[in-house]
Amino acid sequence: MDAVAAAALQSWPWHPWTTAALFLAAAVYLSGWIRIRRLVRTGHDGTRLPCFLAGLAVVWLATSSPLDAFDKLFLSAHMTQHLLLLSIAPPLLLLGRPLLPILRGLPKRFVKEALGPFLTSPVCHGISDWFTSMPTAWLLFAISTVVWHFPAAYELALGSNAWHDVQHACFFWTGVLFWVPLIQQTPGKSRWPAWAPIPYLLFADLVNTILSATFVFAGRVLYPTYEAVHLGSVSAQTDQTLAGAIMWVPGSIVYLVPAAVFAMRVFSPERQEGREPVVRLPKPDRSRTPVLAIKRLVPVRRVAKWAMLAVAIAVIVDGVRGAQIAPLNLAGVLPWIHWRALSVAALLLVGNLFCMACPFTLVRDMGRRVVTPKFRWPRFLRSKWLPVALLLLYFWTYEAFSLWNSPFVTACIILGYFAASLAVDTLFRGASFCKYVCPIGQFHFITSLVSPREVAVRKQSVCGSCRTHDCIRGNETARGCELYLFQPKKASNLDCTFCLDCVKACPHDNLGLLPVLPAKTLTEDPYRSSIGRLSKRNDFAALALLIVFAAFVNAAAMTAPVMMNEHKWHARLGPHAMPLVVGIFVLLGAVIAPVLLVAICAGFNRLIVARDRLWEFSRRFIYALVPVGVAMWAAHLLYHFATAWTTSLSFVTPLQIVCLDAGLLLTLYVILRVAEQYRAGMRQAIAIAVPWAALSIALYGAGIWILFQPMEMRGMLH
Amino acid sequence: MSRFRRPYIPILLFLAAGQFLRADGGKVQLQRQAGPFLITVFSDPSVVRVGRVDLSVLCQKSDDKSTILDAKIFLHLTKPGGAEIVEFTLPATHQAATNKTLYVAHLDLPTAGKWKVKVDASRGGDEASVTGDLNVLPKEPLLLTYWPFFLVVPLIALLFAINRRLRRGRELRHPRAQR
Repeated sequence: MDAVAAAALQSWPWHPWTTAALFLAAAVYLSGWIRIRRLVRTGHDGTRLPCFLAGLAVVWLATSSPLDAFDKLFLSAHMTQHLLLLSIAPPLLLLGRPLLPILRGLPKRFVKEALGPFLTSPVCHGISDWFTSMPTAWLLFAISTVVWHFPAAYELALGSNAWHDVQHACFFWTGVLFWVPLIQQTPGKSRWPAWAPIPYLLFADLVNTILSATFVFAGRVLYPTYEAVHLGSVSAQTDQTLAGAIMWVPGSIVYLVPAAVFAMRVFSPERQEGREPVVRLPKPDRSRTPVLAIKRLVPVRRVAKWAMLAVAIAVIVDGVRGAQIAPLNLAGVLPWIHWRALSVAALLLVGNLFCMACPFTLVRDMGRRVVTPKFRWPRFLRSKWLPVALLLLYFWTYEAFSLWNSPFVTACIILGYFAASLAVDTLFRGASFCKYVCPIGQFHFITSLVSPREVAVRKQSVCGSCRTHDCIRGNETARGCELYLFQPKKASNLDCTFCLDCVKACPHDNLGLLPVLPAKTLTEDPYRSSIGRLSKRNDFAALALLIVFAAFVNAAAMTAPVMMNEHKWHARLGPHAMPLVVGIFVLLGAVIAPVLLVAICAGFNRLIVARDRLWEFSRRFIYALVPVGVAMWAAHLLYHFATAWTTSLSFVTPLQIVCLDAGLLLTLYVILRVAEQYRAGMRQAIAIAVPWAALSIALYGAGIWILFQPMEMRGMLH
Repeated sequence: MSRFRRPYIPILLFLAAGQFLRADGGKVQLQRQAGPFLITVFSDPSVVRVGRVDLSVLCQKSDDKSTILDAKIFLHLTKPGGAEIVEFTLPATHQAATNKTLYVAHLDLPTAGKWKVKVDASRGGDEASVTGDLNVLPKEPLLLTYWPFFLVVPLIALLFAINRRLRRGRELRHPRAQR
């Protein structure tokens, strides 16, 4: 093969967003198609799936193949691309009858709650009918095809990637609209006579023919961009003629063949379009389908704990004996960069996996084989105030003494953690260290409020008839919940270490790691086992508030403007004043500012909400801020994680903004749901929600500002 | 539902990996004939701004316009004037290119203004250089660069509001359908 041709065939552009979108569409369609096929079988099923997948493949070919790599050098390549997007991909996709499989493939709740009102609305039906009526679809198709081929419009698309994408989107979507009246119409229910598709297609071909002929017979190059580059013997004029020929011949076939098929149908004596017999299959019995073989996770958990213990030992050894250069030491890299980011990623994708594999509890369990704890945790410490203080202390020491930069200190902290958990839990019964002391655990408890899974009861009725309550009391095979969470009354992941003791102990196999909507439990205020109602707990509210605001403080502390100000005050106040300066910054950002802001929001609410319920509602709104706080932690830690692997960060900022977008949307949703529970009317609910929504938007704005600041690459080599 | 969720993880990984290659080709910034070569320089994005830019070079024989794939191409970029002279020299290669008939160099331009671009091409015993100007605009504000990502929140909020309104309308029309 010619070397240039070989090089051309190796030119495959990489468009991750397009590829991901197509992959997602295929996955959703396939999932729905499988579900439908389990219930109903029709004669069409055999062709629909391949047609839809072929349609997606054609879109991918048009946008991510050598055609795309050469579309700015050859008009003929560009025209082929357009032909695929406009006339090949849309009918193939529509022949897959995608509506039902896609609706079945999406999560049921999303379809019902989010799409349902649109799908059943007469207004939306009216709009959809208008767009897919033959005259509108034809006109949009013709206008898009003609206008985009005007030299000014075409040159605009060639000169700008954004306009180029708009051009392709126009071709694709007007193509879809064009083919809908021909393919998607229900037999016997069409609004147009049976012969209507014939002129519809013929006139479309006429437009196509006029355009093609213009390219072929223009006698000059229509688009100057293509004139700039001649490759080999192919001049711009030849290329344009070839493009016209491609548009003319295959382009016309696409319209004329279906027109012929419709004509044959119209003039055929047997015009009956009999419906395929529908075969309904019995519904699968889902009550017996296990949600997750969670018990299999119990031995996995033991292995994970040992692995984490080995990692912790390696970190301690390297921290004490290794080179005291953070980026070259396990104690500088693993805990501060990888572990933090991975544990937050695990929280967002599954749940509290770090506590599940916590190495500290392994050592504690060993200690308990030697010493049996005799005491109960002191009553006055049975709250979250101690961990709040410890977390605040941690945030200050982290910034003031650059913990990330000192492998030795990091190793000492981990050793201290082992010693503290061992001491507390060999003295006091239950998981006192996890529940009342561990700052890492509290961070995970709060952030796991937005996790998509939760250890929960499968059927409440089974628990209703249970008399042994092994999940909390334990039995001979497993201990019960050491954090005193009674599963039937447990709501959310708060205080749950994912230890799975309850799962192992349950004799009815009625517990599982079940899917939940992230932050759903924040929209309600149920009685929670061992916690009570969150709206009554100041300590939980303080913990949540600290974790939310600390996300912004922690990220802001590594930005150039904040660091410059810290150094300025350091220089003014003296050589040993840095811990004080940092302390004031942390105190201002993580304690004083949140308290003031909450007080202001509560002050606004006081105009509407009765005084006796004011703080109860304020606490609930504080928990509503958790998603945006978690999003900030995720965005910040994603940056650290990414910079540890690559210096090319073009993909990081968009992902960080997407994190914050998702966090803000979830927070706004929770705020509205909480406000609705107080409403005497929608207006009052919105009035209550406004100050808190403004606070969450301000936090989002602060997060965006932080992301856009130059970052000091602390504890890293680049 | 659990079956549906599985694709999310590969998709996220997929998106994360998207940074490694960019489209190249783009707008013609410079085209000169020198010795046996016809050199064309493209830029992507077409409007060059401070920050990351891809410069692609198409090297052709000047007589028959056939593409040369085995040349050695070096790009020299100089910003004369001002307090200091900024200078880059870097190779352009097929490896860095999506379109394998082009030679591409990825670079980060630090300052705005008129840059001098010099392309050195050599193949066998033939050598040639072409020079030209590259106009670099100041960096776009980040809010403008990422504006589509900021539209997500108001767009979803708007859809949510419409959803609620439609739902209320449906509940009014069919009171029994209320949950």
